[in-house]
Amino acid sequence: MATGVDRRRAEFKRYKEDVESRGKPFFPYAMWHDTVMSLVVVLLAIGLACIWYFDSGEDPEDVGILGPRYTAEADPGTVSFIPRPDWFFFFLFYLLRIFKWPESVVLGTVGIPTLCLILLLALPFLDVRPERRILRRPVALVAGVLVIISMGVLTYKGATAEEGGAAGGDVVEQWMTAGDLPEEARPGAELVAESGCLNCHTYRGAGSSNFGAPDLTQIGAQGQGVDFFHRYVANPRDFGNTVMPVYESLGEENLDAIATFLDASKNP
Amino acid sequence: MATTTTPPRRKPPSRASVAINYPLDWLEERSGLVGGVKYFLFRKVPGDTNWMQTLGSATLTAFLIQAVTGVVLAMYYKPSPNEAYASIVHITNDVTLGWLVRGMHKWGASLFIILMFLHMGRVFLFGAYKYPRELNWIVGALLIPIGLFEGFTGYLLPWDQTAYWATVVGININGTAPFLGPFIAQFLQGGAEIGPDTLSRFYSLHMLLLPGAIIGLILLHLYLVVRLGVSSPPWSKEAAGMERPEDVQSGNGRPGLTRPTRRGGDA
Amino acid sequence: MDPHGPEHRPHVPSPSLWPVGFAIGVAILLTGLVVGWWIVALGGIIAVVFAFLWIRDIGSETRAAAEPELVEGAAPVAPGEPVALPLTADDDIERFPRSKFLEASTIGVGAVIGGLVTLPVLGFAVLPAFSATEDHNIDVGGVDEFPEGEWRIVTFLQNPDEGEVSRRTTFIRYNGQLDGDPSFTIIANNCAHLGCPVQPSGPIADEDKQEDEIEGQVITRIPAQPAAFSCPCHGGAYDLEGNRTAGPPVRALDRFAFAINGGRLVLTSRYSVGTVEGEGKDAVITKYGQVPPGVHVDGPEQFLYPIEPPN
Repeated sequence: MATGVDRRRAEFKRYKEDVESRGKPFFPYAMWHDTVMSLVVVLLAIGLACIWYFDSGEDPEDVGILGPRYTAEADPGTVSFIPRPDWFFFFLFYLLRIFKWPESVVLGTVGIPTLCLILLLALPFLDVRPERRILRRPVALVAGVLVIISMGVLTYKGATAEEGGAAGGDVVEQWMTAGDLPEEARPGAELVAESGCLNCHTYRGAGSSNFGAPDLTQIGAQGQGVDFFHRYVANPRDFGNTVMPVYESLGEENLDAIATFLDASKNP
Repeated sequence: MATTTTPPRRKPPSRASVAINYPLDWLEERSGLVGGVKYFLFRKVPGDTNWMQTLGSATLTAFLIQAVTGVVLAMYYKPSPNEAYASIVHITNDVTLGWLVRGMHKWGASLFIILMFLHMGRVFLFGAYKYPRELNWIVGALLIPIGLFEGFTGYLLPWDQTAYWATVVGININGTAPFLGPFIAQFLQGGAEIGPDTLSRFYSLHMLLLPGAIIGLILLHLYLVVRLGVSSPPWSKEAAGMERPEDVQSGNGRPGLTRPTRRGGDA
Repeated sequence: MDPHGPEHRPHVPSPSLWPVGFAIGVAILLTGLVVGWWIVALGGIIAVVFAFLWIRDIGSETRAAAEPELVEGAAPVAPGEPVALPLTADDDIERFPRSKFLEASTIGVGAVIGGLVTLPVLGFAVLPAFSATEDHNIDVGGVDEFPEGEWRIVTFLQNPDEGEVSRRTTFIRYNGQLDGDPSFTIIANNCAHLGCPVQPSGPIADEDKQEDEIEGQVITRIPAQPAAFSCPCHGGAYDLEGNRTAGPPVRALDRFAFAINGGRLVLTSRYSVGTVEGEGKDAVITKYGQVPPGVHVDGPEQFLYPIEPPN
């Protein structure tokens, strides 16, 4: 009776015999393919390096298609830089954004990645059927497709994830022009850009969306009026919002400016 | 009684072939290495191998690019927080073709990771992790986190804002692991917080420990590939190792039972 | 290899120590050329003496080779052929064969070597995970540089010897007097989720930045009007006491303990905070030893992190 082990050994023996009798020498047949692919890899590396270098400049701000040559020197005391990992960690990075509750953070940082690594290592022991054709391995096919899709989606979302935090100075100019805002809205625009509002709200593509905070690009279009925005931003608790910070301490003048800006933000 | 025939005259070996063969024979007699290389080069592989099966050697090429460019970069890079950034700027802007070496290293890293994943996907698709290649899969699955960790440690070395803060977050992610987390974080940092020892530690990991581990595992990986053979694409009509109808009929006639023999012979 | 017999055997000199002495003499002579002339003389004497003895020996051997001696019963051995060695006479099986002892002791000594090499190396690599950082007292300015109720973003070098890599940022507010002593709220800007730099939610007056050189390092103070603190990485939000109000951070922001020395604010040690009740000078802070971001200090999850490295 052929047990599983015997059958596998028999198949491997057949394999060895087939290769001996009908196989071709590695050099030059297979090695030719390998060499061509390796040339492609080397040319890609050189090509990417050239594009990256010639499309950027010595200044860290001089950014090309493939990014800057380097950013500013490390400053452990910064208050304005927003960390990003290398692109191949974007899937982990976005996983962290999914697990927003303090109790669940461990799942996203170490739980899921560790579990996936264990499954990866144990794969040959989980799948012991000898069948190798993919269309006859439904579990493997589904698992493989799911992994590829989820890693692809996570990486894409990580790459396009909006950056919260204080936006740079030119962005205000862009907002004023794109939204056709009156000049009196400018002080409020500057305040909103630098006061951390963009950590939770988005505005014309800047900022990041967290905790259900609405996009503010056209927040004034509903006609709630300057006074409404002033009171809301001063104390969101009065309106049932328990997540947004209370900005009363900014002072009347600043709150007026912000409210004017928000009310003027009506245009798409 | 046997007819005598003069053996065909063999041409004396040409000077060129002697020039090549003599040193090789000298080396072979004293080490056996030439025979090993010849075995590797001229071993038989299935005739129906696919272009997808070049991804493994493409990954190896990417790694070799990293190794070579890394060695050259190390001749100019200064692994101290005060000097690292300036040395990177110097390499990129001033050193002759420094930009090319640094660029190839930077983009080669991304290529290496992409190719590793593509290669893993190809092996998964072909079911080439099954008997007897399980060990090879495990070696490869170990190479993936080590390769990613190489990328992580290398990312800190330019010591710019991107590098520093991505590393802060990365180390703290490790720190959230239950029980051992804070110790892992401190081990990586070389102390209670990121400090000057952190950069040196990451440099040592990136240049010495991790490449050493990768090279060792790659050698084991290649040895296993040569020993166990390259698999045919599973959909191939001529796949090596496939059961053939005539095999089933040989043996003692019971269907499905096969005593492996030379094809066409009796059990 | 000459199979024809001893007469054709090339002459091999018998072992002798005279050449060694000669070589030593020559070596001493050459050394003396560098060090001093009296050493040259000493080396020369030694070399001459041993040369004389060596030549005398060669001379006597040459005379002896002309009359080959036949050793009784010993067959002459052509050079290059192996000499048959006597077999071990002892055929008894020992109760503790020597090979077993050798196996055990080889492995044992190997283990000792392995331990001697790896343990210090591992300790070297791993010990920093168990070492505490020294506290440095940082003078960040006079108490009068901090108007009451106003926030300042203060950056300083936590460990001036390490340079810029130890630069830290804090948010400092002077709360007025509490029982006769100045009260400060000093909050570190490292997010308690994963360490990203936390930003003040409010306008920052960069143009009013003050820079002071104090005790060999540059301290900067920038006025700001935060209504809260928020982290751009994953949306963590904190109130003005550093308590977490929203997002993934697992505890409040770290704080610094402080002392007042001769009217100057001095930051002493850093600690982690569970929660803060109350505000400003009336705040009640639950204090823990400093732990890295992401580590829970209270609640049921604290048992995930039972042991902390000392710092």
